[in-house]
Amino acid sequence: MLQVQSFTKRYGRLPALTDVSFSVREGEVLGLIGPNGSGKTTLFECMGGVLPLDGGALVRGGRPVSARERASMLFYLPDQIAPWPAQTVRWAIEFTIGFFGGNAELRDRVVEELDVAPLLDATIGSLSKGQRKRALLAIGLLMPHALLLADEPFDGLDLRQSRDVARTLRAYAAEGRTLFLSIHQIRDAARVCDRFVLLSGGRARGEGTIRELAALAAARGASAGDDLEEVFLALT
Amino acid sequence: MRSRSVSANAAFPGVALLWLLRKETRELIASRAWWVLLFAMGPLVGVTFISAVRTYAEASGLNGTAAGVGEAFSPLIGIWAPTFSACEVAAVFLLPFVAIRLVSGDRQSGALKIEAQHPMPSIARMAAKAAVLALAWTVASLPAAAAIALWKSYGGSIYPSEVATVALGHAINAGLTIALAAVTAAISEHPSTAAILTLSVTVGTWILNFIAAVQGGVWERAAAFTPPAMVATFQHGLIRLDVVLVAAILIAAGLALAAVWIRTGVAVRRRLRESALCSAVAAAAIFACAFATPSWDTSESRANSFSEADEAALARIHEPLRIEAHLAPEDPRRADLDRKAIAKLRRVMPRVEVRYVSATSIGLFEQTSAHYGEIWYELGGRREMSRATTAESLLETIYDLAGIKAPAESDEPVFRGHPLAVPPRGAAAVFYGVWPALVAASALFARRRSA
Repeated sequence: MLQVQSFTKRYGRLPALTDVSFSVREGEVLGLIGPNGSGKTTLFECMGGVLPLDGGALVRGGRPVSARERASMLFYLPDQIAPWPAQTVRWAIEFTIGFFGGNAELRDRVVEELDVAPLLDATIGSLSKGQRKRALLAIGLLMPHALLLADEPFDGLDLRQSRDVARTLRAYAAEGRTLFLSIHQIRDAARVCDRFVLLSGGRARGEGTIRELAALAAARGASAGDDLEEVFLALT
Repeated sequence: MRSRSVSANAAFPGVALLWLLRKETRELIASRAWWVLLFAMGPLVGVTFISAVRTYAEASGLNGTAAGVGEAFSPLIGIWAPTFSACEVAAVFLLPFVAIRLVSGDRQSGALKIEAQHPMPSIARMAAKAAVLALAWTVASLPAAAAIALWKSYGGSIYPSEVATVALGHAINAGLTIALAAVTAAISEHPSTAAILTLSVTVGTWILNFIAAVQGGVWERAAAFTPPAMVATFQHGLIRLDVVLVAAILIAAGLALAAVWIRTGVAVRRRLRESALCSAVAAAAIFACAFATPSWDTSESRANSFSEADEAALARIHEPLRIEAHLAPEDPRRADLDRKAIAKLRRVMPRVEVRYVSATSIGLFEQTSAHYGEIWYELGGRREMSRATTAESLLETIYDLAGIKAPAESDEPVFRGHPLAVPPRGAAAVFYGVWPALVAASALFARRRSA
């Protein structure tokens, strides 16, 4: 579906991403795993066109994706934002559907599955971190783009909410939506993702399913089994 | 199905723009800065209007004072210029915060990261903000409209074109403020930095005006296009095409620069290049427009014009006229000559070249110089000197040089003014009571509705 090719980004002299490459396949749930400060958010912001790249490109069908193509292909849902804080969740959902041409017919289902109904008349600025996360995920799922990039979709959610959200995300992926999720909790990632990109120190350390990554770790002389945490530690 | 939705949205950008306008309007209503602006406009306009009406009434003979004559009874100078000056204060000190809130708010809350993903050009996003801010200014100007209604209810004379000219001047001033605030908010990471930058530019224009008053020359020419000078032109009932065009270019350039800088996904180097290009195009356009000479005197008293007979006579002179005035920038005679004679002359004779000569800024120590105070006129190879700075002497000298007989006293109706000796009845209640109460009630209603 899409290749991230040699992404490079620096903040002044500090390298944030160095020659990061991997591919996103249609209909999969791809997890971006890495410790804090590994460059996950920077990678997503560069993919979403929110931050400029210093080098590299998004490639589709062998040619670089233009800004307009990107805007129609993928939607990036940032972490730690409280957009339109004075507006209600109901209005924010209406606005994003109207502004981006979102899927209005999915609205009721998404609102129910993410348990957003009790929040609809609250202003976004008044929501807790977890409530805001669910409201924003609802917005993300209602967007019409084929690929959704969600930065830390489980951050701020309790165990039950995390499981519910994971189930909802999987259901949408099963219906053909491609999801790329940045997750720093490896157990959350293992529960929801089909494949993984391991990021550490701004470099991609591996890409594939748990088995493929375990094989990669074994090839490098580490015995990690099928445990994603062990694989991650072995490869980073 | 999904990609069809995206394509449909891209095919009808108008739909997205309408949503954006709705969103910006809601954000404006949610902004405390706007409510503060609205609330303050009542008392601000009230103070200036009440004071202007009282002064006008006293000059018209209220309480046994001696009635004045002529220009003193022009509502343009006596009522509208001071009343609308409240709009200037609001545009300088309150409106920037409303504009900065609307532009910076998206960046602060993270909404920009979402909205910027729409393929809509950033200039369209900025235009939506500017349109809503223009609407905000229109609503904030309602107290000025109330002042017009009150004046009418007192039996005061209203000359629509001069009132419209003053309102246009303040609307342009507000547009400049919005554009400036939009640029600073788009460039700065934080709204407080944007506010400091905006106020710094405003103070900078005041400094430029001060330097122009002292130094004259190029500084004086540049100062003519600062917001205070532009507003002053309109307050005198004069619409100058060069001023309008330069203001329009500055507003467009400001919004374009803001649109360049809200694109956080574009490399800084590219944004710098685009900014430089935008500034260069704007500078070239301003340079070209600064030579536009048409102007319209909309004042009832024809305060910016010679008599029609004189204008017809001057229009027959096609040779270039050179004026060399040996007067220092701060010499009051120079201000008299410039504002009451040369400004009127430029409107009829575009080919007038004026040169001021002085060794000092105040002229006090040049009085002993033999040539100080001389005003030399050169037309068609003939030269003549005069020391008078009145419009009448200027016309006399020019007719003399051109070999044209001065037109006879015309029977044009002379503006006698509109004296009105009435106190500002009910104005205090409207501006200090009704308006603030209305704004407070609306703010509470809007707050409850959004919550």
